[in-house]
Parts: sequence; C-alpha cells; structure tokens
Amino acid sequence: MNVELSDLTRRFGRTYAVAGVSLQVGPGVFGLLGPNGAGKTSLLRMMATVLPPTSGRLRLLGRDPGSVGPRREIRRRLGYLPQNLGYYPGFTVAEFVEYFALLKDMPPGRVPRAVAAAIEQVGLGAKARAKLRTLSGGMLRRAGIAQAIVNDPQLLLLDEPTAGLDPEQRVAFRAMLRGLGERATVVVSTHLVEDVGAACTEVALMAAGKVVFHGTPGELIACGEGSGAAGDAPLERGYSAVLAASRSAAARSATETRA
Amino acid sequence: MTAAAPARPVTARAFGLTPLPLLRLLRIELRRSTMPWLLPLIAALFWFDSYRPSTGMPPLYVLRTFWNMGQGHTIIDFGPFVAGAAAWTGSRDGRRRTADLVAGTARPRWAAQLAAWAAAAIWAVAAYLAFTGAMFAAYAGQGVRGQPPWWWAAAGAAAVAAFSAAGFAAGAYWPSRFAAPLAAFGGFLAMVMSSQTGFRDTTGWALILPTDSNGNFQPDSGLLYPWLPDLPIARIMLLAGITMAALGLTGVRVRGDGPRMRLLAAAVTAAGVAAAGTAVGLAGTARLSAHGIVIPALHDAASDRPFRYAPACGQAAGVPVCVNPAYRRWLPDVTAALGPVFGEVAGLPGAPARAIQVGAVYDSADGGGGQPMTIGGRPPVLLLPLGAFGLPGAPGTTDPFFAFQLRLFAVHAFTGAGAAAGTAAQRAVQAALLHGAGVPFARQPSLLSSGGLPSWAGAAGNGGSGVAQGPVYDAARRLAALPAAARHAWLAAHLAALRSGQLTLARLP
Repeated sequence: MNVELSDLTRRFGRTYAVAGVSLQVGPGVFGLLGPNGAGKTSLLRMMATVLPPTSGRLRLLGRDPGSVGPRREIRRRLGYLPQNLGYYPGFTVAEFVEYFALLKDMPPGRVPRAVAAAIEQVGLGAKARAKLRTLSGGMLRRAGIAQAIVNDPQLLLLDEPTAGLDPEQRVAFRAMLRGLGERATVVVSTHLVEDVGAACTEVALMAAGKVVFHGTPGELIACGEGSGAAGDAPLERGYSAVLAASRSAAARSATETRA
Repeated sequence: MTAAAPARPVTARAFGLTPLPLLRLLRIELRRSTMPWLLPLIAALFWFDSYRPSTGMPPLYVLRTFWNMGQGHTIIDFGPFVAGAAAWTGSRDGRRRTADLVAGTARPRWAAQLAAWAAAAIWAVAAYLAFTGAMFAAYAGQGVRGQPPWWWAAAGAAAVAAFSAAGFAAGAYWPSRFAAPLAAFGGFLAMVMSSQTGFRDTTGWALILPTDSNGNFQPDSGLLYPWLPDLPIARIMLLAGITMAALGLTGVRVRGDGPRMRLLAAAVTAAGVAAAGTAVGLAGTARLSAHGIVIPALHDAASDRPFRYAPACGQAAGVPVCVNPAYRRWLPDVTAALGPVFGEVAGLPGAPARAIQVGAVYDSADGGGGQPMTIGGRPPVLLLPLGAFGLPGAPGTTDPFFAFQLRLFAVHAFTGAGAAAGTAAQRAVQAALLHGAGVPFARQPSLLSSGGLPSWAGAAGNGGSGVAQGPVYDAARRLAALPAAARHAWLAAHLAALRSGQLTLARLP
C-alpha cells in the first residue's frame, strides 16, 4: 500500500478538520469526494507532508513522514497540486516547472527532458516560454499539474485539479490520470463526481472530517439506487444518498448524546 | 570495551545542498529577480548623490571619495532599495501562496531561500561594484591621483549584502505586501541613525558604522601612506556577521527542514552574532594614529610605511620645492605662494634652503586643517604638510586663500611660534613678513580669522578684532617700514631671541 492512514486526525483550535480517518490506498486513481469543509484538503495536505497530523498514524510509500530522512525520500517521489495554486507571476511556464523539478531534488541531468515532457503532457508546449502572469486560469491549473508530475511521482496528490479546465481539457486530463494511475497512486480530491466516475478505480467520500464511504465507483452508484436521492447521474445520486445517510446518523447521534 | 562505530561523514549532500541544482535554481532566480528593476533608480541616485557632489573636490582620491565612500553615501544610495527588494523576494512564498507547494518538496526550504536571497544579493552587490568601478574609472579619466580606497569599496559591498540579507529575513518572517516598503524604510532609518551617530561619536564602537568617516579618511591616505585597512576589515566582519545572522534566522524558522537543518541555521546565526559582536569590540579598541585608525588586533605594521615616490620639484625664489607627484598640479600654486616669503627671508639664519612635502597628521580636535609647517635640519628644510591644507578647487578654498595659508604657515614656522599664536614680538614679525610677502596689514586680521585655520591663527589676527591696529601691528608697521637692508640686518641680529620667545615687543625697531 502506498498510502496507509490509521485513525488520523487534524485539529485547528477546537475544530477537527480530519477526525479519525483510516484508509489504505494502493496503485491506481483514488477519488476523494465530499462537500465543502469535509476535510479533503486537510487530509491531502497531511499526505503531502506539509501539515503534520495531530494524532494517528500516517505512512506514505512505506515510510514514516514524521522523520526527516524518510520524509525527504517521500517528497522526492511525491507530486502535489494544492487547491489554491500559488505561483510566481514573473516565471515562465518552463521556469516554474524546472524550479519545482529542482526543488524535488531530481537528478539535474534529467530535469530538462522531464520539464519538457511534463509541459507537453498538459498541453502547454506552445506556452512554455510564456510568463505565468499572462496565462488564463485553466492554463495556470495545467502549469500546476505539470509541476506536480514533472518528477514522475509514485504518489500524486491533486486537490481540485479540474477546476477551471474546459470540457475538452477535462477529458484529456482524465485520460492522463488513467495513464498515471497505471504506475502510481493518484489521489484526486474533487467536487466533480463525473471526474471520479471517469477516472477513479476507488473512491472515498468524506463528511465532517470522517470517511463515510469507501469503495468503488460502482458501489457508490449502488448506494443511490432506489434511495430517491437527488442527482442527475447515478454517481451523483449515490453521493447524495451516502451524504444524507451520514447526516441523519450524525443528527441521531447528537440527539442521543443530548438525551 | 567496544569498538566505536566509524562516524558517518557529514556532507553537503546530507543537508540536501548539492551545488549544481542550487546553481540552476540560482540561475532561474537571477533571471527573475526584482532587483534589476530598481537599478536604474539606484543609478540615478548614485549619480546625483554620490558621484556628482564628489566632482567638486580636487582630483585626489582621498578628497573625491570622502563624501561617497568615507561618509558612506554609496551605501545610503543602495541600502534602503536593496533591503526593500530583498524583503519582496523573501516574502514571496507568503504573498504568492506558494508555501504549501515549496514545503512539500524534497530540497530543504532553507536552501531554496538561500538561492532566492543569493540572486537578489548578487544583483545588488554586482551593481554596487559596477557603479563604484564606473565612478573610479571616471575619476581615472579625470586624472584623479592616489590610490582608490579599495577596502572601503569592499566594506560597501559587504554593507549591500547585509542589507539584502536583513531585508530578506524581514520578508521571510513577515510575508506581506508591506514587507518591502517597511524594510526599505527601516534601511533608510538605519542609515540616518548611523550617520547621526557617526557625526556625534568620533571614537569607540561608533567607528564601526560604515557611514562614520571620523579618522579613517586621512589627508594623505593613498597618497603618501597606504589606506589603513584596520577599520574596513572590522566593518566587513560586522556586516558579514549581520548577513550570516539574518540568513541563519530565515533557516531557524523553517520547521519542515528537520532539527539538523535548524541546528545548522542556529549555528550560522550564532556565528554571525559572534562575528558582529567581535567586530564591535574591536572597534572599541581603535585608536587614532598619525595616518588613520589603528585597531591593534588587526593592524599590520607594513601599512604604516610611507610610499616611495620620485617627487615633483619646482623653484620658489630660487629655493627648491618638492611635492608628491599626486600634488604636481598644485606645484605652481605652491611655489607662487612661497616665493615671496622665501624672498623676504633669503639669507637669514634658519631660512629654508629647500621645501619638501611631508605627510599630514590628522588632528580631530582641529578638524584636520591647518597643521603647522616646521623648519628643521641643516641646511634648513621647510616641511610642508600639504594634505592638511584646503587645496585650490576645494569648497571654500580660493587660490588667494591657498596662497595666504601657505605664506602664513611658512612665516609662522620661521618665527618659531610653533603650534601657538606666539609672543607679541613673534606676531609682529609674522605680520611684517606677511606684509612683505604680499599680504597687506589691513587684510591680515580677516584672513587670520577665516575658517579652516587652526585656533592660534585667530589669536594672531589681533584677537579677532578685525582691524590691524594696536601695539603688535604698530610694531609690525615700523619693522616693515624699514629699508629692506636694515630690516634684514635687524632680523639677522634678533632671530635667535625671537625664536626662543625672549624678544619683547619693545625691542622691535
């Protein structure tokens, strides 16, 4: 397993953003679904080793990110696209990707070819010398994806990767995800259930800091069948049904606690 | 007893500091640094504040660079802008929300920060050296003589690096859009305070401030004597210490790099603080020597040896006058000024057979101006500390005033008054000889009370009354009214008593 989480929590003040998540993720594309504030981004940031957990156990690529040496090894093999992609407006696309390739400690000899390949893969070849400040939102997102995949990561964490992409780009991106999933573990956090249906082999649904569903997209679809949950597509109905069930369970639990 | 396991060598690689990727990072940072955008502004400031005012000074390096290097105006021109630009770079990840992106990479965050700082610092220091080099090249083209103050240029470059490091650290600690203007203002404030302290405190630790010119820009530095590097070395130590401490602090705050890296950063900070503290301590031991500030722990006796040179010589009323070749352009002024004096005293006992330039000795109490001439040796030689005088072309020094200074000091030396106003008889003889050398009695009191002359001159000028009257001037007029042969004979007979201070005013003719 490339990602092993055991009773992982992360607290900000009194609020638990992640409240005891246990997951095991192997190679393939793993979808992380959930409403706003469900804790997806905090979970991804912990997996990206930028946010230490408050408690619980986290192992990535068979290593403990709590120790400096293993953490560095994990980071060499990690690709991460944050939800809010920051960038240096004066850098060109190629410089931005090269910058992160060097920060990821790639062998210098491999960097130029890897940078070119990553930029081509996201379809920004014609814009390689363009400054980031001149790019559209979708192009910036693709530049962010390029920096995430430049080191051919074994663990790729993508937080809302398709936000801002047009339909054609999203189709191409899903194809790319499927390709990456054949040789790496790809964790995709998204609101867009169609991305999950098209690209993910496994999916988890988070609500209020907890994983309320873990299974295949087919199993999620099955949860929605006959439930009468809202949604235009089977996956959406499954998503809504699981969320509704988790909310009513939470409400019941709260009532019992008060009683 | 068990055998100890061999210690694993600690390498740069262990800290993730392999040089080649860092150089490539540096290349990207150099290309995208904000510093070059500020260089035209700094260049304009440098031109108007550092270079142009200096061109009003006589063409000697020590005079041309007193303002811009000695008083640190080149540093003042760079410092605030460099601090601001570095703070802008240092605050980049906070402002651009790239903190998560960079924190999740394998290379230590501190190493990447150092690359970003290095780019800003390289631009700033290279620009400082280029601007200073261009200024020196312009001076060379204008025939400026002497040795450039290289050590001061090095201290200036170190100051620019220190400003960049301090600004960068400020930006890294407080990453907001206000970091840059606040750092720039902080840099400006530091310069203002440094200058004020430098003007006020002429000794002790304050000498370490790079804008404090007291005592280290000597009249003949780089002309008759080498520039004493003691103080610039201490300043470089201070500034390097500040640079190290600031950069170390940026590493201390990065938690994700692990305890070893933070320990290394803390050690760098501590080393920087120690270096800076040592430098301040060394400055506290500084003393003023004849040719500059000496710090005993840093002083090399070889720096005290005067330069050897082939003098430039001329004639003043038949008396050879030799000066350092750097002063060659003023040789005609010197001979023209001394000629009438030598003509007046020719043939008298103690009249100079030769005049040679000697190194001026800095006297902070007297502002360095107007060091007395002396006559000594056999045959008598007039020793000219030309570096202590305002030269023609310097602000406040006209050609006539320069001539008056030389005549006054030569006559003063001839009467044996030393570094004091002299007895009434000496003052009377001085006035008569000055009158004979072309300085009318009526002009003498006002000239003697001019700025730039030592305190005894005012006393000799009739106590600052402004009028050439009273017993001294009455006696001087009587002596001057004698026929030349009679005056000559009287002086020959009474010079010994006059110089020993035993001659009274009543004994003058």
